[in-house]
Amino acid sequence: MPVEEHDPFEDKFTKALHDAGNTFETRRPDLVARGEARGRRSTSRRRIAIAGSVTAVALTGALVLPGSHGDGVRQQSAAAGMAKPAVPPAPHTTVTRDELIDTLKKLLPKGKFSQEEGRGTDDRLTPYAQVVYDDGNGKAAIGVSLQRLLPGDRMGREATECPDKVFVAYDTCSSVTLSDGSALMVLQGYEYPNRRSGTKLWSADLVTPTGQHVSVQEWNSPAEKGEPVSREQPPLSTTQLKALVSARAWRDAVNAMAVPRGKAEPRPEQGVTGRPVSSTLASLLPKGLKVVARSGKNEGFGYVVLDDGKGESFVQANVQFIKDTDPDQRIIKDQLFGADARTLPDGTKVVWHQGPGDKNVKGGVMWTVDTIRPDGRRVVISAFNSGTQNTPPTRKAPALTMKQMETIATSTKWRQPLG
Amino acid sequence: MRQGRNEEYQEFASARAGHLYRSACLLTGGDTHLAEDLVQETLGRVYVRWGRISRADNPAGYAQTVLTRTFLTHQRRHSSRKERAADALPDLPDPATAGDTALRLTLVEALGRLSAKDRAVVVLRYWEDRSIEETAAAMNTTSAAVRTRCVRALGRLRALLGDTLGEYART
Repeated sequence: MPVEEHDPFEDKFTKALHDAGNTFETRRPDLVARGEARGRRSTSRRRIAIAGSVTAVALTGALVLPGSHGDGVRQQSAAAGMAKPAVPPAPHTTVTRDELIDTLKKLLPKGKFSQEEGRGTDDRLTPYAQVVYDDGNGKAAIGVSLQRLLPGDRMGREATECPDKVFVAYDTCSSVTLSDGSALMVLQGYEYPNRRSGTKLWSADLVTPTGQHVSVQEWNSPAEKGEPVSREQPPLSTTQLKALVSARAWRDAVNAMAVPRGKAEPRPEQGVTGRPVSSTLASLLPKGLKVVARSGKNEGFGYVVLDDGKGESFVQANVQFIKDTDPDQRIIKDQLFGADARTLPDGTKVVWHQGPGDKNVKGGVMWTVDTIRPDGRRVVISAFNSGTQNTPPTRKAPALTMKQMETIATSTKWRQPLG
Repeated sequence: MRQGRNEEYQEFASARAGHLYRSACLLTGGDTHLAEDLVQETLGRVYVRWGRISRADNPAGYAQTVLTRTFLTHQRRHSSRKERAADALPDLPDPATAGDTALRLTLVEALGRLSAKDRAVVVLRYWEDRSIEETAAAMNTTSAAVRTRCVRALGRLRALLGDTLGEYART
């Protein structure tokens, strides 16, 4: 199962996704032949390109042999088609699985090691080393994984910015820039989003200006999942984690990995055509409610975390457009707004749902008001009795009543153009 | 490619094309034309690498990873497609082959509301049954990022789908 926790919605969704996915049948019987033809064309283009580049260097008197093509996935252009003729720089000598494991063991304080596993830099998948380490106070899994990014790539920022507490449970997180320009994040969090079973996961992520990404993780259990907690805390302090993630040996190992081709992906563009959902949502809240957190500038989805003095409450809004004139979209509408829907004087249909919240959080509730206007604008407001979707309840009911949520959902402020 | 390996490739591609296509349809939020293009591109890339894919490897998993990355690269280059345009519709399968049309429409439409990366996480985790770690490797990202996306995407899907999955409660 893909889920480590039993959640009725996930179970239902997984089954529904399989049923929906399995209804798709291609009407193109020549898909395989077309794919092969593309592969053949790409191969012959590459041969021509390599032959051309070898001829070029031969004329200048120097011959540089093309190195490994590394992972063809990262190195070729996508659906757009044309393969780039340039040959990627040859990676340095491979660092083997055993070498990575040895490095990890040498960098850890004295202790006993078992269950060693890993992958070298020559593997198609991410290189890593993981061991179970016992400093005398209980067995703990410790692992390091390596990644080579394009300098300045979005993924590097994503890995070193403290995550949104609404989606990831953690106790402390710090994100700093080191004197050499590297970004470092140290996070003391949990294996499970709802902190179930007390398994702690502490991690440190380092991304250098040249795109070397080193990630260290440690648990207070001999395995990520499925093993009971063996000690109160993971063995390495944040200072030790910083020292481990910053060790020179890891950067040398990353240098043995092929450099990905292409351009670094910049920070995602924020929507400009309309108002962020979280702003509209915040502006419609009843007086006396304090917004303690909110999402960014997305124009289709947003959330706020409210506090009325009686505990935090997570409230999210989804905005979309369903076209009634289209038969397929009408089916969607009828499915969502069936016999139990009320119709307001202006033609807006409203459905209320009250049910359990996420991840079987004991006592967690999720209240939803789903609305659709005659022009097809659908606004869904959901509220929880906790500050996130997956933490234990902080209060008995959400901070908004169903009536208040309906007032928010049916506001004319949602009528602005959608991006 | 040697004849024997070529035959192996043919056998593999014929056996996997249908599944890859279905994955691609979910990734694209029901855009069947784009899905076909992505599958052709994926099979083309697997063809190029086939000589280096060992029999002991997992070519099916490899092809799925190629498909996911091809999709994400395509989305990056066509950033306007990050989320479904307000009036864009999923292309739908032949009604004759459809089981529960209403549910499928609703589900595929809801998937289409997610960002491309959130959709890729959902498809890898819940359609392909990949672990968090495997999903992170396939998407060239971190486990923490996958966790974040997964929780956020499920939260949105839960709200968007409402009670429409109710019939799956007892199955």
